[in-house]
Amino acid sequence: MLKSDLINILVVKRGVTQKQAEATIENIFESMKTALCKGENIEIRGLGAFHVKHYEGYQGRNPKTGEVIPVKPKRGILFRTGKELRDRVNRPEDDQGGGSGTGSGTPPAASGT
Amino acid sequence: MTKADIIESVYEKVGFSKKEAAEIVEMVFDTIKETLERGEKIKISGFGNFIVRDKKSRVGRNPQTGEEIEISARRVLTFRPSQVLKNALNASAEAAESGAAPATH
Repeated sequence: MLKSDLINILVVKRGVTQKQAEATIENIFESMKTALCKGENIEIRGLGAFHVKHYEGYQGRNPKTGEVIPVKPKRGILFRTGKELRDRVNRPEDDQGGGSGTGSGTPPAASGT
Repeated sequence: MTKADIIESVYEKVGFSKKEAAEIVEMVFDTIKETLERGEKIKISGFGNFIVRDKKSRVGRNPQTGEEIEISARRVLTFRPSQVLKNALNASAEAAESGAAPATH
């Protein structure tokens, strides 16, 4: 699914104009991007959290020549899936057969004693 | 930043009522979640990709007792930030550090 699919869904399901839908989707991800660039973390309940991680610079090496190269400090993004979505994504599909009662994340209990 | 801030931003910039903005933002995230739940990936150009990956079962350890346990096969969600986002993140970090605009060629 692409950004354009999200836009279409807003047009079809909510009856907003194409322009409004485009502006909305752009705005959502643009505002998230701006927040991350400011070093702010983002938490979307049910979806997950984005954390900005700072990496220290270090002395790296060119593996071919052995030459020492300074690696600058940098920032990266860590995403941690929220509990609700983690469970929904991991929900076993129909290939598990009829086992419907084991969805709590605990290993299946041995039935014989 | 939380969903409330995103709703506020959509409300200010797009011209919906507060209520509409809230419902629409909610709908966007619900759609994303439903799509990922089906195992389909989401690609947001300029931001990143959300990808559902199948992990095989493997042997892990209880770090407290050292006991070996099998970690069952599972599906997990990963987020890969786009190159654009990574660049923006680091350009703004350098700018903040040197107190100047990021260097351009």
